[in-house]
Amino acid sequence: MKNIFCFLLSCFFSQVIFSQNCNAYLYYGDTLQYEACVIAEKRAGNYQFSRAYQEALDEALEKCDYFSHAYRHKSVAYLKSGDFLTWKRLMDKAVELDPAEFLQYRGWCRYQFFRDYQGAIDDIERLDSLVNYDIGFSQNGDYHLHIARGLWYKALGQKDKAIEIIETQLAAENHSPGLYDYLHLGVLYLEINEIDEAIHAFNKQTENYPYAENQFYLGLAQKAKGNFDAYLNHLQNAKAMYLKRERMFDVYSIPLDKIYLQEIEAELEEARSMTEH
Amino acid sequence: MKKCLFIIFTLLVFISCEKNKQENKSRYLRHVGDIEHDSNIDDEDFIVCNESTATQYFAFGEHLPYEGEKYEIEKIFFEKYKTPENSTENGLVRIRFVVNCKGEAGRFRLMAMNDDYQEKKFDNKITGQLMALTKGLDGWRVMVSKSDPRDYYVYLIFKIRNGELVDIMP
Repeated sequence: MKNIFCFLLSCFFSQVIFSQNCNAYLYYGDTLQYEACVIAEKRAGNYQFSRAYQEALDEALEKCDYFSHAYRHKSVAYLKSGDFLTWKRLMDKAVELDPAEFLQYRGWCRYQFFRDYQGAIDDIERLDSLVNYDIGFSQNGDYHLHIARGLWYKALGQKDKAIEIIETQLAAENHSPGLYDYLHLGVLYLEINEIDEAIHAFNKQTENYPYAENQFYLGLAQKAKGNFDAYLNHLQNAKAMYLKRERMFDVYSIPLDKIYLQEIEAELEEARSMTEH
Repeated sequence: MKKCLFIIFTLLVFISCEKNKQENKSRYLRHVGDIEHDSNIDDEDFIVCNESTATQYFAFGEHLPYEGEKYEIEKIFFEKYKTPENSTENGLVRIRFVVNCKGEAGRFRLMAMNDDYQEKKFDNKITGQLMALTKGLDGWRVMVSKSDPRDYYVYLIFKIRNGELVDIMP
């Protein structure tokens, strides 16, 4: 139910985001983009995968081939259907026309849909060099882009750099913890065998957003310290939370550090055998 | 009066034909990513229950609707996929297909790219295995909307590094 609600909410917001104020183009004296923008509004009410939606945007581009938002909006259905060739061609065009506007989206999607870690880093670091404001959040709102950037470095094997980036962002003034920030940080510390730092991060995660994965990794951290009762207890919590769907989730992709029920159960079996002895 | 009705009827038929003609001219199918039946490559026994209501897998608010979740899919691929010897192939391979209202999969289509998002043809030792393993997946769940089982589109993307399968998306 929660997942369906999130999906519907994201659909609603995507519609809201798609609504542009075409008059802004008139303000800047660009009548061609204004006219294209008005034509593009014909897609309103049509599903982003539909023929009518795509054709309205094509018509807008016939009017004005530098109306960058049309390329971006056209690209979404290709992205969500896994058509990396068409998506990238459209987004490259949007970025070419307005890099500061679209690098965030292209960079994030390169990671979320295609696990293109280096491409995502390149886009977001380019964006950071172009603008003098906070680069903001991922498209799904789950991460500040610097936290995400840290995760991408981790995926490329640079764990120390990942920790440094994430810690810096977490310490930044005005940073509110994202859904999974401390969980990822804890996993990083766990992987480099800094167990106390890992537990500290997992406890912070519990304070903000408790998830089954957090309990699972807390269990592993307690196992590493030889606290087998706590190890078992956290895994039991993890299983209960997983079954209640209190777990990491993204309808379009699997978040990094996500754990499945089968993995919890396998670890539980080991925990039980260790506490029996 | 009869004459008038006849003219209106003729006009309606004309407008309807023109509309159909326009739709036929479109370079788009009903939805981006739709897959039409191709008798040269598709299994004749595979039936899509209702083409006009087929949707995307994520429209049900879930990640991949497979028994045992993506964990089971990864287990199958990582256990069974064999990396070809001395392969230097890199990039992504996408296989998109339909799961019908009975949970059966068909109409498999393959697309591939190199690391620069340019179209690429992979060694058949790689794509042949990926296609065979994808066709062998038999845990797709029947998804229901408004009490009706629905057909839905799914895709799997395989990340290949030097011929090795290193990741599966979405």
